[in-house]
Amino acid sequence: MAQISKEELRHLAELARIELNPGEEEKLLKDLGNILDYFKELQELDTANAIPMTGGTDLRNVFRDDAERGNTNRGAGIEAFPESEDGFLKVPPVFEE
Amino acid sequence: MDFLHDLTIKKFHDGLLAKKFSALEIAQAYFARIKEKDGEIGSYLSLAEESAIREAEATDLAIAKDEQIQDLAGVPLGIKDNILIKGLPATAASKILEHYVASYDAGVIQKLKSQQAVFLGKTNLDEFAMGASTENSAFKTTKNPHDLTRVSGGTSGGSAAAVAAHFALAALGSDTGGSIRQPSSFCGVVGMSPTYGAVSRSGVIAMTSSLDQVGPMTKTVEDAAILFGAISGKDPLDATSVDHQFGADLLGPKLEKVKQLVVGLPEEYFIDGTDTVVTKEIENTIEKLKSLGLKFKKVSLPHTKYAVAAYYIIVPAEVSSNLARFDGIRYGTSMREEGDLKDVYLRTKGEGFGAEAKRRIILGTFVLSSGYYDAYYEKAQRVRTLVRRDFEEAFGQVDVMLAPVAPTPAFKIGEKINDPLAMYLCDMFTLPLKLGGFPAISIPTKSVSALAPGELPIGFQLIGKKWHETDILGIGQFYERI
Repeated sequence: MAQISKEELRHLAELARIELNPGEEEKLLKDLGNILDYFKELQELDTANAIPMTGGTDLRNVFRDDAERGNTNRGAGIEAFPESEDGFLKVPPVFEE
Repeated sequence: MDFLHDLTIKKFHDGLLAKKFSALEIAQAYFARIKEKDGEIGSYLSLAEESAIREAEATDLAIAKDEQIQDLAGVPLGIKDNILIKGLPATAASKILEHYVASYDAGVIQKLKSQQAVFLGKTNLDEFAMGASTENSAFKTTKNPHDLTRVSGGTSGGSAAAVAAHFALAALGSDTGGSIRQPSSFCGVVGMSPTYGAVSRSGVIAMTSSLDQVGPMTKTVEDAAILFGAISGKDPLDATSVDHQFGADLLGPKLEKVKQLVVGLPEEYFIDGTDTVVTKEIENTIEKLKSLGLKFKKVSLPHTKYAVAAYYIIVPAEVSSNLARFDGIRYGTSMREEGDLKDVYLRTKGEGFGAEAKRRIILGTFVLSSGYYDAYYEKAQRVRTLVRRDFEEAFGQVDVMLAPVAPTPAFKIGEKINDPLAMYLCDMFTLPLKLGGFPAISIPTKSVSALAPGELPIGFQLIGKKWHETDILGIGQFYERI
């Protein structure tokens, strides 16, 4: 079972889009190391005959009527936009100019 | 106002109808008490006095007009701050949602509003309901009303402390691996995590969607049954919710039926390492229940020791997905002074999330990543099946199970906060049953008035078959009458 290296941690943080400072990196490496160590005990368990449980519910195919809904709460949340222009959500540029 | 100490939902309702007091007077009494005393405990993150007064007046008006009122009309509630109430803050105790105001009502809030309940304010929690002590809150630590040097438990510590300190008549919490039951045990209140699917999660800020459930936190088991009855049921906006009829036994259990129930004692939950105070209290509880006529039987849940590890793989995996939406684009804190979109993400999440949120997001990203998925996430899902099967097999022999809630009473503030693994192990008795979606309730082993000076409250746990909340609430309602 793998431990997480500093390079790997930085890659994971980049994937998760989280900026970490050096102090946080050190603490995370230590904590994640301990936690992954703890997970090792799962390997001793034979799970070949157990089908993965992929969620919390036993329901299958929950449908709703294909009909108009009276209250769609449309427009709610606009006031929470961090930045807007003419009622539209304003986002920062995706690419540098 | 000592009067609030004795009040229950039932007594409040009867008092309203008898015109002993008005809903407004009681709401005002709670606000006065909160303002005087919550400074040292820290159960609330925000108060909603203006809207609460309006809600209380609506109930008083209905009574004045001789209209029928429902069980929860005028009942002053504290609501965990990861549950949305339109027009009120919903921070999930995170800096990333510090200034967020909810634009709609959660499904459970809609149900409570239809009964004219009163919402006093939003209660503290560990950030995004991740922790076991409320020390992960970005804003404050909720202290235990029985000992201010100790934690209230978590993650619904604010709700538990609010009920214990009489800052609310009852409260809502949410439970993923023990977040209702453990703080209930630490603070000496009743708290239930219902069957998965019994209560809507629409408008509840998602942490681990395959486990999260909302449930009641109250002074008595009877109150828990009333509040659970009000919030349960299908909600079209939560596809996992189910319309299940719990029947008349929910509020009026019958002793002849309850004493037929066979109670299982899972041997893996009675182990060395559990505080002797807890062990002794649980033994006393078993004796008391025997006096009601209940039969006990030893059972085994052989995969118990693997449940914590499986849980702490599944939870971060779902967290890394659920918390991805907090990106500073549409709502919440946004660090967008300079740079492009990616810089906004990096800085917003870097500064907006606390240490435990970051730890789980990164761990979740790891266990889901190519090359590690099979060894961690899929393995954990297989173990989840085995843990669930343990419970199903045990429930072939017994009707309910009894266990401790936590291995210790409330621990000291600061004791575990720097050791995430020690914090994770706080959930060892509360989380396994959640992996299978079973309901469980924490009930104080003795009433607060029976505690010796300096004695801390301890809860015992009753675990039920799925959709058998009536069994655990039934035993609990007779237990509290002993």
